[in-house]
Amino acid sequence: MSKPSHESHESHQSPDTHGHGAAVVDHTHHPHVCAWQTFVGIYAALLFLTFVTVGVAEPVSGLHLGSMSMVVAMLVAALKASLVMTVFMHLKWDTAINNIAFLGSLIFLSLLFLFTLVDHSTRGEADPQAGTPAPYARQAKFVDD
Amino acid sequence: MTTHTPAIETAPSATRKEPSYLDVTKGFWSWAGTLDHKRIGIMYLVGVTAAFLCGGLLALLIRLHLWTPEGMLFENGVYNQVFTLHGVFMVFLFIIPAIPASIGNFVLPLMLGAPDVALPRLNLASFYLWLVGSILTVYSIITGAVDTGWTFYTPYSIETQTSVLSMGLAIFVLGFSSIFTGLNFIVTIHKMRARGQGWFKMPLFCWAIYATSVLQVLATPVLGVTVLLLAFEHIYNIGIFDPAYGGDPILFQHFFWFYSHPAVYIMILPAMGVISEVVSVHSRKPLFGYKLIAFSSISIAVISFLVWGHHMYTSGQSEFVMMAFSFLTMLVAIPTAIKVFSWVATIWGGSVALSAPMLYAISFIIIFTIGGLTGVFLGALSVDIHLHDTYFVVAHFHAVMMGSTALAFFAGIHHWWPKMFGVMYDERLAKISAVLILIGFNVTFLPQFKMGSLGMPRRYATYVEQFQIYHQVSTVGAMILGVGFALMLGYLLHSLVAGRRARANEWGGVTLDWHTPTPPNLYNFDDEPVMAGKLYDYTELDISPTGEATFKAHKSTATVGSKA
Amino acid sequence: MSGHATIVTPTPEGFRPHAVAHHFKTAEQEFQAGKLGFWLFLATEIMLFGGLFAAYFLYHGVYAETFRVGGSTLNWHLGAFNTVLLLTSSWTMAMAVRASQLSNRKALIGFLSLTWLCAAGFMVVKYFEYTYKFSHGIGPGYFFAPEGHYAELFAGLPFPNLYFALYFTMTGIHGLHVLVGMGLIAWLIVRSSKGHFHSGFYTPVELVGLYWHVVDLIWIFLFPLLYLVP
Repeated sequence: MSKPSHESHESHQSPDTHGHGAAVVDHTHHPHVCAWQTFVGIYAALLFLTFVTVGVAEPVSGLHLGSMSMVVAMLVAALKASLVMTVFMHLKWDTAINNIAFLGSLIFLSLLFLFTLVDHSTRGEADPQAGTPAPYARQAKFVDD
Repeated sequence: MTTHTPAIETAPSATRKEPSYLDVTKGFWSWAGTLDHKRIGIMYLVGVTAAFLCGGLLALLIRLHLWTPEGMLFENGVYNQVFTLHGVFMVFLFIIPAIPASIGNFVLPLMLGAPDVALPRLNLASFYLWLVGSILTVYSIITGAVDTGWTFYTPYSIETQTSVLSMGLAIFVLGFSSIFTGLNFIVTIHKMRARGQGWFKMPLFCWAIYATSVLQVLATPVLGVTVLLLAFEHIYNIGIFDPAYGGDPILFQHFFWFYSHPAVYIMILPAMGVISEVVSVHSRKPLFGYKLIAFSSISIAVISFLVWGHHMYTSGQSEFVMMAFSFLTMLVAIPTAIKVFSWVATIWGGSVALSAPMLYAISFIIIFTIGGLTGVFLGALSVDIHLHDTYFVVAHFHAVMMGSTALAFFAGIHHWWPKMFGVMYDERLAKISAVLILIGFNVTFLPQFKMGSLGMPRRYATYVEQFQIYHQVSTVGAMILGVGFALMLGYLLHSLVAGRRARANEWGGVTLDWHTPTPPNLYNFDDEPVMAGKLYDYTELDISPTGEATFKAHKSTATVGSKA
Repeated sequence: MSGHATIVTPTPEGFRPHAVAHHFKTAEQEFQAGKLGFWLFLATEIMLFGGLFAAYFLYHGVYAETFRVGGSTLNWHLGAFNTVLLLTSSWTMAMAVRASQLSNRKALIGFLSLTWLCAAGFMVVKYFEYTYKFSHGIGPGYFFAPEGHYAELFAGLPFPNLYFALYFTMTGIHGLHVLVGMGLIAWLIVRSSKGHFHSGFYTPVELVGLYWHVVDLIWIFLFPLLYLVP
């Protein structure tokens, strides 16, 4: 299997098979074959980043990053995820629309996060009496005020 | 203003090269196992119509019940179940699949010059998912129904002893049916367009379906996870939505409306697409502002993800996000108004045929304008605090869902009926029923706007006496609507057995769907179409004195020979 | 249009030829249609899990201390081990897709089998984690009745049940995806051994591969959020 691949990284832009008049259409599908060394490299990077994740985590290292710890953990995870997406999932060599389809979902998901979390962090600011009942710590704060 | 000269029995236009998709195979299994998008579309049509009849019957019962202030028919708990089932049937079983899955399935590949949708097996699977979801819905009714309203708000939906669990499962399954349909259409539009058909040579119905499908794919999974979590509340009390376990019931509303607001546009966008086609064909004029309509569909889809909180103004969410949601809601008015203006400008100066589909389309424009404008009232934060959960809201969303989407569905059915079945219904009766429905709708819902603004709350089984006159007028309107729909069902079914043979191009449409034989072949076209000319180019038609439309030697649409 | 000649993709010696479905004009069109459809499906998976993540972030914000203590009861060594297993399986899956593109049947079956084994290992570890937690009265929702030192640990903390409800729900739905993936990979192994996949047709391998990477992606986020609660 370790055929060092001269085929690797030839970027086959898949021909757009529609919409542009009756041009000559390529009937076959040409796979984009990635070099195995690339995959091994990404795999090693993922393992290293897992090590980083564990290493900087408060419960393991005792580092006190405070509110930054969540940000750091998510940044490292996002980095790992982007490696998997671009190389293992071939998005780097894939069509624009496949990229948009997948990454677009993240944009819309961020809207769900944005409004629900902003709602929670600003709830009861204008009128503490009208805020949501009990269990929330924030409400307690307003009662103290 | 000219009209198409109707109803002279015409000879079969040309001898067919191939049998139609209706004749190519026969028998139950040739339908139940079909991968043909047209047959799947017809099966959906039968299914959603059945759902519409059930939901409509429940609506009539609700209106009858409200004839007197203390309620005529049901105990209060049963009344809750009846309006919940009306909502679930109409929203999840009828409106959401109605236009995309039935008309869209049938027409979209035709408009793209394709032999089928891109993923025919998935298409059939999504029909069967719809069927399973419907059966589960009926199962929930038998095992105790649901009394939460179609919105399933927590914590009541956690406490109630009715069949929320199986209904949640039903909605989960229906959601995936909807996702697969949308996914299929996106792929079809991207990968299956005819040669020469660039994005801006697609009929506007395709743009509308595309925008709808994006919503179906991105929003429906959140509904899936919401009902899943609601089911977990019932199975093991996960607590995420239950304040007794530390959860936040408002989070349920966020999740629910993150789906269900885009779902409002899943319902209305395809309707707008149908209206664009019908208005253009029956005015025999290219659409005014083609690109504006196309882009407004996309922008409505995007904005719909930013406004869901306007359903939650009185829920206790933060005032800050309410203001943001209220502001963003106003943005929806822009693309929506663009569409209405474009339709009116298309009709203006056109050669308008007051055919049955066009009557439905005009009714749509009238009622949609009412629904859209009252939506602006409700989007305004301060006004909504007063109108929230009153009949004003009920009337508003019925204007959009029933008066717009359902009417567009019927406009589409009447428009493509001759293409679907090769027969024509009685146009005179069709026009009567269109007018009855327009009148019935307004008689039903205009009083509801009034009593809502006076403070009549929605979902109440009883009411104070001062509202009785409005309720009674509304009930009379509902009866008129019922008569209109019964009449429609009658002449449509009658046309299947005794209708005159439809002309090859009944209305004189020029999009690719009208280039197929009537009814289409199994793989739609005789020869693979190539779009060489313009879209909506009505000059390529010859109209005979009898109103028969024929293409002038294929000016805009060339074909390439079959490859065999 | 019915007179389409059937298109058969180029097939290397010893493999089963693939006929393009009748409604596609080219093999490339068929491949790209299937792939776009699958990417859209993966987008729905992201949205579905996204709702759970939104709930996690929200309650993590409200009950930070509860979540920290809850997370500390999980064994991060096992979590890290499972992370390595899934990352490895992701790598072997990528290699399996590559083998199918190169029509290397032996490597394809080998890498698919490795992927399946990693997935199985992941589920075994999860099984032991779950049973250990259940045996100490830690379960989701109704089943949350902590015993022994757990009871002391959670004393006075608001709603520790919520952390575990999220833990079991998120890892449970993720585990369900792993099981489905194992079924799909097994199906691929059977078909590969019959010579169905080669440079001219490897769509199912490619698509299951994408699915498997998404299962990995979700775990990449679950691991720090649940085991190493910040």
